[in-house]
Amino acid sequence: MTVSFTLNVNGAATEVSTEPRRTLSDVIREDLGLTGTHLGCEHGVCGACTVLLDGAPVRSCLTLAVQADGHEITTVEGLANGDELHPVQQAMHEAHGFQCAFCSPGFMLSTVALLAENPNPSRHEIREELSGNLCRCTGYHTILDGVEVAIRALASDGASGGGDA
Amino acid sequence: MKNPPFEYHQPDTLEDAIQLLAVYGDEAKVLAGGQSLLPLMGLRLVRPSHVIDIGRVAGLGAISTESSGVSVGALVSHSMAERSEKLRTNAPLVHQAMPYVGHRAIRNRGTVCGSVAHADPAAEMPAVCRAAGASMIAVSSRGERAIEADEFFVGYLQTALDVDEILTEIRFPALAEGTGTAVVEVARRHGDYALVGLACSLTVESTITAAALSFFGAGSTPIRLGEVEQLLIGEEPNEAAFTTAAAAVRSSIEPSADVHGSANYRRYLAGVLTQRGLTQAASTVGVLA
Amino acid sequence: MNERTQTSGLGFVGQSVTRVEDDRLLRGKGQYVADIEPEGVLHAAFLRSPFAHATIRSIDVTAARRSPRVTAVFTAAELNELTNPFPPFLMMPGLYTPLYMCLSDKKVRHVGDPVALVLADSRYHAEDALELIEVDYEQLAPVASIADALSVNAEQVWERADGNVLLDKSDAYGDVESVFASADRIVTERFSCQRQSNQPMETRGSVIEVDPETGHLTIHNATQSSHMLRWLTAALAKKESVRSSLKNFATNKDRRDSFIVAAKEFMAQNGESMQNQDNAGPKSQLRKDRSMLRHLPRTLFGLLGKDDYPTVMARDIGGGFGAKGPVAREDIALAAAAIDLGRSVKWIEDRVENLSDGGHAREEDLTVSLALDNDGTFRGLKVDLVLDQGAYPAFPIGASMATQIMRVMFPGAYKFDAFHLRARTVATNKGKYVAYRGPWANETWARERIIDVAAKALGYTPTDLRLKNMFSDQDMPAAMITGPALDETMSTKKTLEHAMQVVDIDEFRDEQETARAEGRYLGLGFACYHEAAPGPPDYFDSISPGAGTLGTEYARTTIERDGSIVVYTSQMPHGQSHETTYAQIVADELGVGIADVKLVYGNTDRTPFSVMGTGGSRGGPLGGGSVKYSSREVRQQVIDAAAELLEASADDIDIMDGNIHVSGVPARGVSFADVAATVISEGDQPFDATFGYTGKGDGGWSCATHACIVEVDLETGRVDIPRYVVVEDCGPIINPAIVNGQVRGGVAQGVGAVLYESSVYDTEANLQATTYMDYLIPTAMEIPYVEVHHLETLSPGENDFRGVGEGGMIGAPPAITNAIEDALGPFGARVTDQYLPPTKILEMAGIIDPD
Repeated sequence: MTVSFTLNVNGAATEVSTEPRRTLSDVIREDLGLTGTHLGCEHGVCGACTVLLDGAPVRSCLTLAVQADGHEITTVEGLANGDELHPVQQAMHEAHGFQCAFCSPGFMLSTVALLAENPNPSRHEIREELSGNLCRCTGYHTILDGVEVAIRALASDGASGGGDA
Repeated sequence: MKNPPFEYHQPDTLEDAIQLLAVYGDEAKVLAGGQSLLPLMGLRLVRPSHVIDIGRVAGLGAISTESSGVSVGALVSHSMAERSEKLRTNAPLVHQAMPYVGHRAIRNRGTVCGSVAHADPAAEMPAVCRAAGASMIAVSSRGERAIEADEFFVGYLQTALDVDEILTEIRFPALAEGTGTAVVEVARRHGDYALVGLACSLTVESTITAAALSFFGAGSTPIRLGEVEQLLIGEEPNEAAFTTAAAAVRSSIEPSADVHGSANYRRYLAGVLTQRGLTQAASTVGVLA
Repeated sequence: MNERTQTSGLGFVGQSVTRVEDDRLLRGKGQYVADIEPEGVLHAAFLRSPFAHATIRSIDVTAARRSPRVTAVFTAAELNELTNPFPPFLMMPGLYTPLYMCLSDKKVRHVGDPVALVLADSRYHAEDALELIEVDYEQLAPVASIADALSVNAEQVWERADGNVLLDKSDAYGDVESVFASADRIVTERFSCQRQSNQPMETRGSVIEVDPETGHLTIHNATQSSHMLRWLTAALAKKESVRSSLKNFATNKDRRDSFIVAAKEFMAQNGESMQNQDNAGPKSQLRKDRSMLRHLPRTLFGLLGKDDYPTVMARDIGGGFGAKGPVAREDIALAAAAIDLGRSVKWIEDRVENLSDGGHAREEDLTVSLALDNDGTFRGLKVDLVLDQGAYPAFPIGASMATQIMRVMFPGAYKFDAFHLRARTVATNKGKYVAYRGPWANETWARERIIDVAAKALGYTPTDLRLKNMFSDQDMPAAMITGPALDETMSTKKTLEHAMQVVDIDEFRDEQETARAEGRYLGLGFACYHEAAPGPPDYFDSISPGAGTLGTEYARTTIERDGSIVVYTSQMPHGQSHETTYAQIVADELGVGIADVKLVYGNTDRTPFSVMGTGGSRGGPLGGGSVKYSSREVRQQVIDAAAELLEASADDIDIMDGNIHVSGVPARGVSFADVAATVISEGDQPFDATFGYTGKGDGGWSCATHACIVEVDLETGRVDIPRYVVVEDCGPIINPAIVNGQVRGGVAQGVGAVLYESSVYDTEANLQATTYMDYLIPTAMEIPYVEVHHLETLSPGENDFRGVGEGGMIGAPPAITNAIEDALGPFGARVTDQYLPPTKILEMAGIIDPD
């Protein structure tokens, strides 16, 4: 069985025709070629595949692609504004946020959503909100630092930064 | 770890959805948020021939207050419930449970009704429903019926829903005056399913007039301990009463062991949580003696 | 944060230069193996045994083959016919290494053992086809534990082993018997460590491209060891007869000549280490199993006869921690299938596969006896170690190698008169044991635990007892009783002294007492270690004669015509930020900026050879040294050429910000591009230098002390870590932020090891933690803030970098378990397990009984 629908990813609409069983993560990676979204566990625990669905973080491995019909999806590729990194990306760079960085797209998208809702979370709130994203390299400290760098950068920008998240 | 094949149905109305379910019965699974169903399908532990996606069905996404309480529609996500002022005031157990439910991304997709229909005995929502005395509204082509929470959870991942029924709504009754509630749990990691958890409430008019203790992670279904609740009635809401209740919980509960905790551990923990939960519940209504 | 500005001139080494890798990775433009999708590639899925131990009566793949979406199905018997078995490598006296094929055709030895390979047009369809294969198994009694394996009644996992014991090796240093007879006290305890798993966030994977014209394989693989994968694929993935290989070799002069050149080069570098190798290892192997005499010639001549070895490419890798070091059975199966079909194939391991057989580690029982005098002087140490390697030995470095690193490192930073280790490796019906970040780490855990046990028995504080017995500067030069030389880089004692300044122990004891009165249980634990990073030159040979071949790291530095600086490394980065740290080193050597340096890695057509790739905390000291010295040679080449151009003496040439000039006359300088263009257009020797580096001499130790404070909640059994301090000494630091990241990441895995993670099997050898719902990787909520303090002890001479990749994970389990035992002191608890989940905590405190 095949279903056809439109996926809106990073502001661009793509017609997709696929088996309904395929996950949003697989369609984003394979059909749209946006391989920045990573698959770490495929059962909803690690958070590497996190994308934003209408601005809210969701597991793209636990979402059928067809369920995203009619929603706006943002992936890590949608964060930077051309050459200019999104403030969260820039902050993670400055804070030495990641090592292997396989988990980084999920962390950054979760962070973008968190800061959109709460521009000044406490360290504890950051830890709690990012606890659905696993990192095996860093011990998390530098990622949490990166969120705090982003908070300061966004506050001093007085704007929500680049990208359409 | 890829989903097995299935026929996909995307009804726009509840009537269409229940017609599909009437046709396909136990060959079909209802998909709302998918946060319980899709992991099992990916592991090929569940392989329905038909998936009925109710995500577009109109009228299932509301949280509404009625004179008799508050109702949560089938498409209300945990995040919507978490942010709902109506639930915070009218069904505080739902609100109190939310910080323990998975993580943000899971709460954004997963639905309250989905969690209840999935009936994982270590999940928060089924136990909350039992503590709150909720009614589950089941709709099929044969009509609509309300199933009381005490009758709803019949076994491990098993509910009283018939194969052609959709859980369209959960109704939480209004809280009695003087009722305090709490949800407490201990999990291995933040956001994990509970080792043991407790959703509880106390109604106090100088002494305790009603109590509900609903444990999760302590058996094959969420468990109400009626005998312990009875022990509390007529007592003052104080530490001594709660200690007695905790001891009674430990002697009546029969949890099983898994890789995350022994049966003895869970039994002990259930007592600790009894003490903590009742203390919190009493303090929320300012009656802790 | 130690953030200094990123400009040249001051020296980049020592600064927290931000990462070169980040721009592509943070944009989602990295290229991990799963991101590679050649046109028309076939997607692979392996059918795996649902049973721990069984014989295969029959397998029926006809229905799977009929599926229209399936291109090919290989049974084990079919694929094994095309391939050579995994040979024994680094044979040791007392060790038997079973030979095994890429798939299992007659017998399965663990849940997840691969028995067939499906290739279809998508992973979805490949998984569909797996469900159509029927296998008739006859179950055998499972060997589920070390106790099972040592039982005389157990079924044998490997028919030719002694029961299930693969290694039994005893080594003694000093007069063990008389030391133990004359010591005042002997403290004995048995420690047990659970099975853990490395669990990088990216699973394993391989994409094999087949050139339709030439048949050349290009293997994109998440490997820590690209050259080993290349060679082993060439050796195993296509079986050729000795006769046809010899014919190819004899008739191909180029092949013969290039072999002789390569062999000479290898022997020049490794001859000394090779000569140390005696034949006791092969003898042990042949006593058990002579089949290698049949397979090895075919395999080796097969290598000689091949004109074309695969190219291995790896770009970005999502972590490894040792799990991506071995060449996997799947790697060979996929290559064999690709060669046979002439089609490109792709396999991305899923998480269930990864948890089952992507790499397990650490499951060891250790009975430790510490002999000491009443004044606290350590006299002797006796250890009986049994390691559960699972079913299939990892290639090339199996579990038995870890036991021998443990042998060398067990005495730690302490002086002993005698040491004895009996090391046994047993086979069980479990996933394979691999190196995991400090593969020998349980020697530190068991030693640091027994010291705490002894301190309590004798009435010493744990820190006093350690300080009394540690090597100090006045002892240098010295040697560990197990052999390796010690010099001033052996600064473990200094790290402990520093940690005791950072953590005010008296103040803590007051706080602990106050808290106990309130029913709160605090504990403080220390752990001290040193690790060979790189260690003295004889270090590897002291582990296993001949293993010195693992040590050398190579780098090649070149300058291209446009002046760009390209550095080729045999390291295989997978999160350690080599592109940044090596750029720092090279930029300092050549007087250029970070952005002027390009690092090439992970492409075996372009990068120099090393056996091991990245592992063993060798990237900084050895990889860094090779990069430094190859760049220094090139600097001299550039200066010599520039001297001619500028008509000056080479001694007067200076390079600053890429400007090559006569000292004091920067305005008349030339650029790298100017010099390169001139030299290359004149047809002179281009700027190019390769350097193999094995370390600078005695010492080369990286040291640390961890101090951990815990609070144990006796209502829930949960352990909180309010303070965690690491005092580390890896010598001069290349990049403080990256060092801190390595330390903290290691500690996080140590926290996981003690409190959350267990690859536990039931009594039927069924893995109980097959998903991330049950194998618990700690989240940001569970990992404490880790304070990192640096000492930078220098040793004479240059290139003093020392490795720091593994230490965090080595120090954390003992520090945390020591702290927990201290917290539970009022209950007389004794920590003998490394894994302490809430249930265990309450059992140790006597609050609950075991079920």
